[in-house]
Amino acid sequence: MLQTRSSDHAPMIAPGHRVFGIKIGSAAVVVIVLALLPLYASEYAVSVGILIFLYMSLGQMWNLLAGYSGLVSLGQQIFVGIGGYTLAMVTQAYQLSIALSFFIAAGISVVFAFIVSFPIFKMSGVYFTVGTWIVSEAMLVFFRNWEFVKYDAGYNITVAYRISMPALYLGSLAVGVGSVVLVFLILRSKLGLALMAIRDNEGAAETRGVRLYRTKLACFLISSVYTAITGVVLYLNITYVKPGAAFGIDWTVCMVFIAVIGGLGTIEGPIIGAVIYVILRQYLYNFPGISMIILGVVAVAIIMLAPAGIMGVLRNKFGFTFFSVGRQLPAGFGSIRKKAAGRRGRPS
Amino acid sequence: MDAPVLSIEDLASAFGSNRVLTSVGFELRERETLGVIGPNGAGKTVMLNIITGILSPDRGRIVFLGRDISRKSVVDRARMGFGRTFQIPRSFENMTAYENSLVGAVFGAGRTEKSAGTGVCEILDLIGLGGKKLDPAGKLGLLDRKRLEIGVALASNPRVLLLDEVAGGLTESEITEIMGIVRRVKDSGVSVIWIEHVMQTMLHGTDRVMLLNEGRNVICGLPEEVMSSGEVEDAYLGSGIHARTERRG
Ligand SMILES: Nc1ncnc2c1ncn2[C@@H]1O[C@H](COP(=O)(O)OP(=O)(O)OP(=O)(O)O)[C@@H](O)[C@H]1O
Ligand SMILES: [Mg+2]
Repeated sequence: MLQTRSSDHAPMIAPGHRVFGIKIGSAAVVVIVLALLPLYASEYAVSVGILIFLYMSLGQMWNLLAGYSGLVSLGQQIFVGIGGYTLAMVTQAYQLSIALSFFIAAGISVVFAFIVSFPIFKMSGVYFTVGTWIVSEAMLVFFRNWEFVKYDAGYNITVAYRISMPALYLGSLAVGVGSVVLVFLILRSKLGLALMAIRDNEGAAETRGVRLYRTKLACFLISSVYTAITGVVLYLNITYVKPGAAFGIDWTVCMVFIAVIGGLGTIEGPIIGAVIYVILRQYLYNFPGISMIILGVVAVAIIMLAPAGIMGVLRNKFGFTFFSVGRQLPAGFGSIRKKAAGRRGRPS
Repeated sequence: MDAPVLSIEDLASAFGSNRVLTSVGFELRERETLGVIGPNGAGKTVMLNIITGILSPDRGRIVFLGRDISRKSVVDRARMGFGRTFQIPRSFENMTAYENSLVGAVFGAGRTEKSAGTGVCEILDLIGLGGKKLDPAGKLGLLDRKRLEIGVALASNPRVLLLDEVAGGLTESEITEIMGIVRRVKDSGVSVIWIEHVMQTMLHGTDRVMLLNEGRNVICGLPEEVMSSGEVEDAYLGSGIHARTERRG
């Protein structure tokens, strides 16, 4: 019983702080090893790394919405598109810096997300999902007919050519690690407590005083802004932007794949999901035409074998969690479960 | 006599043609435990749902500490000091018992997580979940979940505590324990509305008892008087509260 951790609690209680220190330490080592990858790995490996980190970030942000606040959006490509187009306009049309693109993309997306929240937050469940998708389709049509962005012609993002592969890799690593840290900090905060309550039971959360609208809106704004920031880096990698691709639902399909395969409502899930997704897709380049079918089959297989995703299985069967966002008992109350803590004291 | 903490005025509520409440009105006083009895389907839970804002009534007013709160949202009422338990427990299944109560303390009582921790643990100890603080609520048995309902409601530091059948299915000694807890809570300055079918809790655990039947509060008074009244006998004719007590207790 004690070993089947359901979710989000500290797997260790008594030696909590030490374990926390060890985890921070090992996470830091992993990040450093990853950061040095361009020094010892092939260019191909580095390019795959870029994709993994960026898709990890997309998956984290979609999971924050769907996995925690119950907002299943099929319109998050809007923000990838905003990121890509902001980069193109700022650097090509206005010849300004890449750094500025991040701020402008964040600004535009927070305003846009806030405005669309009024109509779409009036809808719930599947209506919300359809609503977000309709908004994203509308964006696609709008961009195709908007002179300011050169209609359907799109832009080549030439500043991106001057960015070296290692630099782009480090930027992607920062975005990917940043997304994990962001979600971790959110879940540890008061907002996170509200989100976890909403994830488990919206009605009960409300009766306990959790403001649903405000909490979900905060979640939507954060997720949208970070998706746009990720979009900027994605388009530094892609180097040309067109409405069809920028606002295509493919982006959200891969976010869903990553979050669901990895495990909804967990921090580890999108990390695992992104690694699987990117590597699988690299491999599937050898099978053009049927690659989408294979991805679909993989998704269905994992969902049927493990509805809670890979992380769900690891957690429920083996008690594995790395990012514990569970609340620890205050000092003086922690000793009650020492025995159990000892049993769970294996490295995770 | 103190001004009432809560006064309920002429509540009416119907679901389609099913007129559940036709006219319910009563007052809840300072430091009082008001027992509510009534046959199955009398509308006791509906009444609690109206008081907490989950349902809106067709007619009537709810006045809390002199303010009409009839139009306030569920969240506002929770934050104002209404703590309740659900007849069918509604816990946050993937969160621990401790975290469940923390939600009540942080969002209901407006405390910080840090400052709420010790109090929440003491509440869990009090309600007998001390050894299960870090168990996910979804892994608790039904009785423990009912305890947790009380814990979460208490953690929200309520001014009015609304209990909806928390003693059903408990053993004799557990019922005594619950009555002790309710008494302590009341003594700390909370007013309590306690819906229960278990005779003993109503007789010995309340200050007044109210009978809800056929959409109205039929009689209200001292526990012994109400419980031995003809109205109660009539209301329970056939099902019989005494028979129920034996079955459940
Ligand atoms: N949301 C709802 N929609 C429609 N009808 C409802 C709803 N909630 C309650 N009712 C009806 O209202 C009536 C009263 O139900 P309620 O749950 O309040 O009874 P109760 O007095 O709490 O009974 P019990 O002792 O069994 O808990 C029932 O006939 C029930 O079917
Ligand atoms: Mg009921």
